Amino acid sequence: MIDLPKNTLLIGAVLLAGCASQPQTADEFRKAVPGAFMAKTETVEVAKPFREVAANFQKRAPECLNVTVETVSQTTTSYQVIVAAYKPTVVVTGERAELHVQQDFKQGVMKVRAEPAGGHYLLVADAYPLDNNRTRLQLFGPSMGYDVLIRAVKGWASGQSLGCPDMTKIG
Amino acid sequence: MQDRPHFVQCVWRALGAAALVTCWLAGCSGIKTYPNSLDKNLLVHTSTESGSILSRVRASLSISRVDAQCRTEYEGTIDLGKSHISVGVPVDRWSYLVFDFSSSGLLSNSSTMAQGTLLKPRAGYRYDIEVSYSDDLYNVVIRESRTRGDGRDVALRRLDTCQPGAPPAS
Repeated sequence: MIDLPKNTLLIGAVLLAGCASQPQTADEFRKAVPGAFMAKTETVEVAKPFREVAANFQKRAPECLNVTVETVSQTTTSYQVIVAAYKPTVVVTGERAELHVQQDFKQGVMKVRAEPAGGHYLLVADAYPLDNNRTRLQLFGPSMGYDVLIRAVKGWASGQSLGCPDMTKIG
Repeated sequence: MQDRPHFVQCVWRALGAAALVTCWLAGCSGIKTYPNSLDKNLLVHTSTESGSILSRVRASLSISRVDAQCRTEYEGTIDLGKSHISVGVPVDRWSYLVFDFSSSGLLSNSSTMAQGTLLKPRAGYRYDIEVSYSDDLYNVVIRESRTRGDGRDVALRRLDTCQPGAPPAS
């Protein structure tokens, strides 16, 4: 027996990461997401100055997303262990603040394509300054299974919640 | 006489189970209670909500001492089941605090998420630590103060920022 819901999402994540050609950079990932299976882009505006959004990304991403998660799925006939390491990168310029999240399966998932250092791109969030102390946030990432990660990043951008996502709840 | 091997097998199983229980009760799980005998300088405020009546989240705090080589020595764990708990951690010495959030439920797998930080409490200061878990988001905020009201937030420091022979700056 296989843990079907979890594995469906996992396969989706792998497909997103591995479809056609594996994005090797955040920019390639941005271009690949709009046409990819189980992936989406989303744009929201937040009532927060750009510099504060950037500061929250710089503070919270290393604290919350530099994690390794082990997931064990067990039934009467199967035992599966998946180990995933996450790597956040924040790049801030005068034009935008970028948050990249990479996922590297260390155990339990076969990699069929060469991945960039740090693992395949899972999520890219770009924040752009707007007038009146507002910021536009554009997200590129999976369309399901990663809701907690996306909620956390939106919370950092809006300042409404600075909590870390429980990455064991992914998938 | 065919029952005799079966009886012996049952006895061995019972002894094995008893040994396991004894081992667990004796602390073979590796988890021990933090002595918490020092002057209380940490006040931990905890709130956890699983978001479902079918599951629950428990928080705990594990404390390890950190030596000059950045090696950790586990000192014990405190259950953060109460909303306010006072903890005594050695001052002027690095400790590594790990806040564990363990989720368990009827229809879901058990899981544990951890947030660790290095902390070097200063003599004469108190540290209010807000620990929260709600809707699959968790947070740990440490505030250092001499008296109530004032103070500053203390940034969380990962263990791998510790350099042997050159511990992280205060």
